[in-house]
Amino acid sequence: MRKIACLVVVTFVFAMMFSSSAFSARKTVIKIGINAPLTGDIPKVGEGSKYAAMMWLEDIEKLGGLEVGGKIYDVELVIEDNESKAESAVKANTKMITQDDVLAIVGPQSSKQAVPAGEVANKYKTVMISPWSTNPNTTLDRPYVFRGCFLDPFQGPVVANFITEEFGFTKAAVLYDVASDYPKGLAEVFKEAWEKKHGAGSVVAYQSFTTKDTDFSSQLTQIVKSGAQVLFTPQYYNEVPLIVKQAKDLGWKGPIVGSDSWGSAETVELCGEPCYGQFFSSHYAAAGAKGATKAFIDRYTATYGYIPDDVAALTWDALLLAQQAIQNTGKITGRIETDRTAVRDSLAKIKNFAGITGNMTFTDEGDPIKCAVIVKINDKGEYEFYKSSCP
Amino acid sequence: METARKFKNMFSTVPILGWLLGILAAVLIEYYWGYDYISYYLGLPKIPVLFGALIMLKNPMMIPGAIGYDLVVYVIPVLLIAKTTAFFTNPLAAMLEKTPLWLSAIVHLIFFYGVLHLWAGINDYRVLIVKLTLISIILTISINVINGYQGEFSCSHPGFMALGAYVSSIITLYFFVNDKIFGIAVLPPALGPWLFPFALLAGGVAAALGSLLVAIPSFRTRGDYLAIISLAFMFIVKSAVENLNGIGGARGMGGQPDYAPLPIIFIWTMLCIWIVHNFVSSIMGKALNAVRDDEAASESMTVKTRKTKMTAFTFGAFWAGIAGGLFAHVLAYINPGMFSINRLAEILAMVYFGGLNSIVGSIVGAVSINVLGEALRPLELFKWIIIPLILILVMIFRPYGLISFKEINAKQLLRSKFKREQGA
Repeated sequence: MRKIACLVVVTFVFAMMFSSSAFSARKTVIKIGINAPLTGDIPKVGEGSKYAAMMWLEDIEKLGGLEVGGKIYDVELVIEDNESKAESAVKANTKMITQDDVLAIVGPQSSKQAVPAGEVANKYKTVMISPWSTNPNTTLDRPYVFRGCFLDPFQGPVVANFITEEFGFTKAAVLYDVASDYPKGLAEVFKEAWEKKHGAGSVVAYQSFTTKDTDFSSQLTQIVKSGAQVLFTPQYYNEVPLIVKQAKDLGWKGPIVGSDSWGSAETVELCGEPCYGQFFSSHYAAAGAKGATKAFIDRYTATYGYIPDDVAALTWDALLLAQQAIQNTGKITGRIETDRTAVRDSLAKIKNFAGITGNMTFTDEGDPIKCAVIVKINDKGEYEFYKSSCP
Repeated sequence: METARKFKNMFSTVPILGWLLGILAAVLIEYYWGYDYISYYLGLPKIPVLFGALIMLKNPMMIPGAIGYDLVVYVIPVLLIAKTTAFFTNPLAAMLEKTPLWLSAIVHLIFFYGVLHLWAGINDYRVLIVKLTLISIILTISINVINGYQGEFSCSHPGFMALGAYVSSIITLYFFVNDKIFGIAVLPPALGPWLFPFALLAGGVAAALGSLLVAIPSFRTRGDYLAIISLAFMFIVKSAVENLNGIGGARGMGGQPDYAPLPIIFIWTMLCIWIVHNFVSSIMGKALNAVRDDEAASESMTVKTRKTKMTAFTFGAFWAGIAGGLFAHVLAYINPGMFSINRLAEILAMVYFGGLNSIVGSIVGAVSINVLGEALRPLELFKWIIIPLILILVMIFRPYGLISFKEINAKQLLRSKFKREQGA
């Protein structure tokens, strides 16, 4: 017994000493963290982020690494699951920053994770780019936190203007989820913008429901009765099909307009026919895209079998932004704190970055100035570019 | 088996003090040589944060390195130091045994905290895990008072937690911080950390008052009915906060000052363990068990069942409120969605996994669910298959949880192991 134990220990020690990893000097590797909801309420969002990140890594590996200041560095992705929970996102960020020594973080996507996670990133002076979070608090007073999308205070007026110009309507109805941060915020912004244009009381129905409700008939009956000409509903892909179908069943004739949360591929799949011909504002339109955007969409579709939604596109842009910022620093010192600050400074200086979701320049708050796209769901159920609206 | 028994015998003479000393040595080794020498020669990129669990699951090539690290840094030094220092830790423990129990317990706790602080201090990720685990311990113990000692099935704990979190956050934000919701701080921010305990207590009291809302209409019901009423309460709290725009509504409330560093949370956790232990071993605690086992019989034996149940319920809610307040100040952000059905599932999992009617069980449950959740992180989706599977197995083989119906015996735990060696 004792002999065997001794033998095992000795073999183990020898194996360790001669294994390739032992005694090897620690290399400087550029690590990028991905903080995504791979499990939890919105796994599709996490999947899109992960796939986009993997495609990016593939590109870098094809080039043999990332070139910074004439030297090639290996790149590693650290993908962490935030379970769609705030404290898990905080844990994931803390782990990536203090344990994995990431140079920059992309994610989390939803505001309820991005707001607390941004606090951590800012505390440890590490760049964090949230591709999808639209809550102003994510980047507010946080020099190290950036985002890849426009904010609600911009999107609301864009939709209001579009409806006014396109249809000439003056009476609107709003249906939104009062318990969810994003729809509620956007509904408020839209109402404000609409009433500024058409006078007080021009939002004739302002109805709400609570997350996970599936029956909207009482709210929709009110809306139909109110005499509204258009319905605005900034909801997610799991609610939009129900709302649209129930509205049609209750005799709603006017158009239904949505926001960028409609952008998931699932919306049309679940909704089908009733959603055709509706409009929503978004970050990009997949059908009829050109240039780099088209190349990205085609490649993603070929690899993963479905058309990427806006989260994937925004994540891709965020990664390219991070890459650009790292390359612009001109040199990796290997001292992680210095490098992180250098990346932050060069990211803030980027002007007119040509992303696949539009050109971006950051404001002092770390929010990009970029255009919104109005997308029409065409008769084939594709998201077609209709119009773009710039600040 | 024979070797295992021999092994166990060999270390049966080591008192708690000895083990602590061993762990201290291990942590010091990690602190001074962990990064530069040991993990370097083992080919590890950094000090493995959770005994190498994360790194092993992420990259199987690292398994020998991580195991080697655990052996060199933890297992061997702990065993070696614990055994070799037994000659003086035993007399030391015997000396402490002669002092009052509280003194000896405090000395041990201070020592334990020092080791924990040093271990966690190596990496901020560890600090965060330890903080959240300690808060989970408070939560689990507090729900054990209701679901274990009182034998009810209450589902409103996330609601109590939310009350505590919001009330204490409102107080600290209003008085000590310049923020967007409440404007300029009313009191000088320097006072904040000193008055923070009062904010926490206020959160706890708010939760206790909230629990009265559940207790008064439902004290006549038991079992399923109480479960439904308390579940409803949880949703009422969540919806109420969502519709209160003054405190952030669904957007949540952020910017809480960092008043909850590790030592503060540790002190609150120890206070919770001590007070709950005293509560459940008091006459009231015994009456609680009597009510659980047979309400009619205990009523006829002069137990005031109504008062007993109400007290225990508010008491449990109070500690949930404290936990909520600490939680809010660790994350520096709360929103109503955090205190929903997911949180309830987590709390219930911890208490039923660890063991009903036992403080040790609650600690074991909270620590193991938290550490498992963190250690299995690299598995992503499979984590949610493995943890429930473990829960199911525990429920099949130990229906009341891992360590149920057992109390801490501090005196026995802390005593010197000298006498046993002499064959007494």
